[in-house]
Amino acid sequence: MTGQAFFVLTALADGPRHGYGIVSEVADLSQGRVKLKIGSLYGVLDRLSSDGLIEPDREEAHDGRLRRYYRLTADGRGALAEEADLRSATARVVRARLGLTGPETAGAAG
Amino acid sequence: MSADLDLEQRYRRVLRLLPRYYRAQWEEDMVATFLDGWLTGDPDEDSVTMEYDRPTRDEVLSVAGLAARLYLGGVGAPGRYFAWGQAVRNAVLGVMLAHAVWGLGQLVIFARSRNLIGWLPPPAGGFWVQLEYATGYAWIVVFIALLLADYRTARALAALVVAADVVSLAHLQLNGFLTAPMAPFVNWSHLILFDLGPVLAMAAFHRDAPPPRRRPWLLALAGWFLLLSVPAMVTEASGHGAWVPDDAGICCLLVSLLCLAHAVRVWSGRAGSGAGVWSLSLVLFAAVAGLYRITSLALYAYDGHMLRVSVVELLILVAAAVLVAPDAVRSQSALPAPSVSRQPG
Repeated sequence: MTGQAFFVLTALADGPRHGYGIVSEVADLSQGRVKLKIGSLYGVLDRLSSDGLIEPDREEAHDGRLRRYYRLTADGRGALAEEADLRSATARVVRARLGLTGPETAGAAG
Repeated sequence: MSADLDLEQRYRRVLRLLPRYYRAQWEEDMVATFLDGWLTGDPDEDSVTMEYDRPTRDEVLSVAGLAARLYLGGVGAPGRYFAWGQAVRNAVLGVMLAHAVWGLGQLVIFARSRNLIGWLPPPAGGFWVQLEYATGYAWIVVFIALLLADYRTARALAALVVAADVVSLAHLQLNGFLTAPMAPFVNWSHLILFDLGPVLAMAAFHRDAPPPRRRPWLLALAGWFLLLSVPAMVTEASGHGAWVPDDAGICCLLVSLLCLAHAVRVWSGRAGSGAGVWSLSLVLFAAVAGLYRITSLALYAYDGHMLRVSVVELLILVAAAVLVAPDAVRSQSALPAPSVSRQPG
C-alpha cells in the first residue's frame, strides 16, 4: 500500500468525507508533509474504489455543486488495520535498532 | 456572475487530458474538490479568485500524470488502454534492449582497450570517450532495472544518461567534432527520439503496470548480442565491414523478421490471447526503427550506395509492418470501449 493510499484510508477511518475533506485531513494527519493534488487524490480514490476498499457514501449540494462523500468498506477497514500493524511493527524494529526509547510513534511515513 | 466560471472552466480544460470514460465518472467531483480548495466563502475574494486565478503547475502535472497512467493502462484498466499501455511498455523495452546491446558492444571495445581482446582496434581515450562508454554501460543497467520492475531506478538513471548525452553532444558540436554533413541533425534527433523519448515513455511503467517478463527479454539481449553484434564486430575487424548493415539497418531487418514471424503465427491461428498487443507493439517497434532509419539517411547524403541500401531496408520494414498492422487495428476494435456511465453516488 502506498503512503498516499494509507493516508486516504486513515482520513476515512472515523467517518465519510468528501474530496476536499480528505485532502485537508491528510494534510493534518501528516502534519503538512503530504499535500495531495487533485489528480493524485483521484488516482488513489479510483484505485481504492476498484479494489473495493472504499465506496461512495452520499452526495450533498454545496454552493451549487455536488460534493460526493466516500466511506471505508469492511475490506478497507481490514486492509487499513493490517497496514497500520505492519507499519507499527516496522517502526518498533527501527526504534529498537536505533536504541531509542520512549513513547512509540506510529509508522505512518509515506 | 460569469467570472465564477473562469477558474472552473480553466480546470475543466485541464481535465480534458483525461480519457472520456474517466471524466464521465469523476469530473464533477474533481471540479468540486478543486474549487473547495480555492474558495473561501467571501464573495468578493472568491470573485477575484474565480476571475484571475489558474490551476497551479503542480495541479496540471498531477492531472497529466493521472492521464498518462490511464491512457497507458495497467492491470484493471479498460482493455484498449491496457493494450496501449503494454504496447508502449514493450516499445520502451525494445529501445532499451537496443541500447543495452550497444552498451555490451562498448564493453567489448573497453576490454580491447585493456588488451583483454586482441582482434579489435583499440579505441581512443579521453574523458569524453570515457563518458560515452559510461552512458553505454548505464543503458544496460536501465534495461535490467526495468526488467526487475525497479522503475524508479530505471527512470532516474536514464534521466542521468540523457543529461550526460546532452552535455557530451554539446561538447562535440561546440568543439567542431561533428564534421560529417548533417551530423548535428542526426545526433540531436537521435538523442531526442531514442534517448529522451523512451525516458518520457517510461511513464507507462507505473505501479499498476504488470511486471515485464524477464526471460524472453534477457534471451533477446543474449541472442541479439551473440548472434548479430559479435559476428558483426568480427566481420568488421576482418576488413569486411562494408557487408555489415549499420545499426539502423540491423534494427529495420530485425523488426521486419519479428513482424514476419508474428504475422505467420497470427495467420496460422497459433498466436495466443496476447497476439493483438504484440501486433500493436510490433507496429510501434516498426515506427521507431523506421524513424531511426529515416533520420540516419542524412548521414549518407553523399553516399549513393548506402542511400539505396537504406531505402531498401526501409521498404522491407514498411512491407513487414503492413503484415501486422491489420491485426493491431482489428484487435483494438474488438476490445470493448470503456463504459462512460457515471459512478453512482
